[in-house]
Amino acid sequence: MEYTWDFSAVLANRQLLLLGVRNTVVLGLVCLVTGLFFGLFVGAARYSRNPVFHWPATAFVEVFRNTPVLVQIVWFFFAFPIISPFEINAFTAAALGLSLNTTAFCSEIYRAGIQSIDRGQWEAAKALGMDYSRQMRRIILPQAIRRMIPAFMNRAVELMKMTSLASVIAYGELMHQAKTISTIEFNPIEMYTAVALIFFALIYPVAVLVQRLESRFRART
Amino acid sequence: MTEVLKIENLHKTFGELEVLKGIDLTVKRGETVVLLGASGSGKSTMLRCINFMEIPTSGRIVLQGQAVGTENGGGIVYKEKELTPLRARVGMVFQHFNLFPHMTVKQNVSEGPRTVLGLDAAECSGRADKYLHKVGLAWKADAYPSQLSGGQQQRVAIARALAMEPEIMLFDEATSALDPELVGEVLETMKELADEGMTMLIVTHELGFAYTVADRVLFLSQGNILEQGDPRSVLIHPKEEGTRNFLRGHGTFRLPEPQLD
Repeated sequence: MEYTWDFSAVLANRQLLLLGVRNTVVLGLVCLVTGLFFGLFVGAARYSRNPVFHWPATAFVEVFRNTPVLVQIVWFFFAFPIISPFEINAFTAAALGLSLNTTAFCSEIYRAGIQSIDRGQWEAAKALGMDYSRQMRRIILPQAIRRMIPAFMNRAVELMKMTSLASVIAYGELMHQAKTISTIEFNPIEMYTAVALIFFALIYPVAVLVQRLESRFRART
Repeated sequence: MTEVLKIENLHKTFGELEVLKGIDLTVKRGETVVLLGASGSGKSTMLRCINFMEIPTSGRIVLQGQAVGTENGGGIVYKEKELTPLRARVGMVFQHFNLFPHMTVKQNVSEGPRTVLGLDAAECSGRADKYLHKVGLAWKADAYPSQLSGGQQQRVAIARALAMEPEIMLFDEATSALDPELVGEVLETMKELADEGMTMLIVTHELGFAYTVADRVLFLSQGNILEQGDPRSVLIHPKEEGTRNFLRGHGTFRLPEPQLD
């Protein structure tokens, strides 16, 4: 089969693609920040022995870990507005689905990170006369966060890839922009090739950084 | 001599299991008391009740004449607010050292004075130097715990506890996790402390150390003090059958005095 590659239409539409890149990055960052922030509280709630905190947090995490993100996004866009008084645009629906999903996964990273610290560290800090918050701030978190960083970065990589799912509800991220352009220009091969390359360029440096951090962490312990 | 620590009728129960069944003990300033006993006899639990790493089920702990906790209808209520500053007054050395791996040796030793006692940087540094020097590890101040041998780590842990300038030191099997050739340096450090008049309560399996260093030896069996007295009477002339069996078990295989010259 003979095919002549022609990227001229890709270049001609670079403004639209750049807008897509911008929207992808915005969506990814917003969801990462909210996920990291709320994940800490959900993780703490799951860690809590108080059932009022523990069970709702556990239910939340299990629901969002065990349903597809695509279903979550579509649900927030089509179903949520019907049962709630809110108007929801594509960005909000995608951000809700992805943020809550990221929150669920991040909470597990926090929890696992803190639980991975040896009980003797808590005991030594306690025996020195530190209260719970000092034990946490001075002794446990500094060690736990080091172990969490590679996992969080992996989450960030996954999240960046998942943003493309927002194209199904017509949020103007990179994938959706490409789909729109390719139906006008009739060039899906070049268009989606360009999208793949752009995603790769965005994500690969982060992935390399994760690998570096992980091997550095292994070397230390 | 003044009483640093007084334990009255101490009981500790974990679920169904009664680990301590009414312990009474008084430790005077400068005294070195060694606790012996089989595993499961309650030695470690007793030690951990003194600085409230475990909360006693009943009984009373009196530190420097002050009873800990508030009486409340037959029982004693302990508030974390009262226990936290109290722990700062009691030094504890653990079997597995539990040094903070993300801090240097010097930071490990100055962490307590800095964040718990709130001393200024110069004082903390001075204390860290002083106590690292005491355990012979001033030259390792900038190393990380993972770069030290087990014996060195345990000596740093001792310095970390000393830097709080505690009223009493508790040693919970401080040499049990060490390779045999590293035990001596830690025991030597502990003996120096005893000689300098530190008040110490020591759980150990090192009978020779107990014999040489202790002012008093307690033998615990099934949550009770079975026998106590000076090291000679308990270790050489034990009265109780339980103590005799324990000592016999420890002496099953014995070297004749090695000829080292």
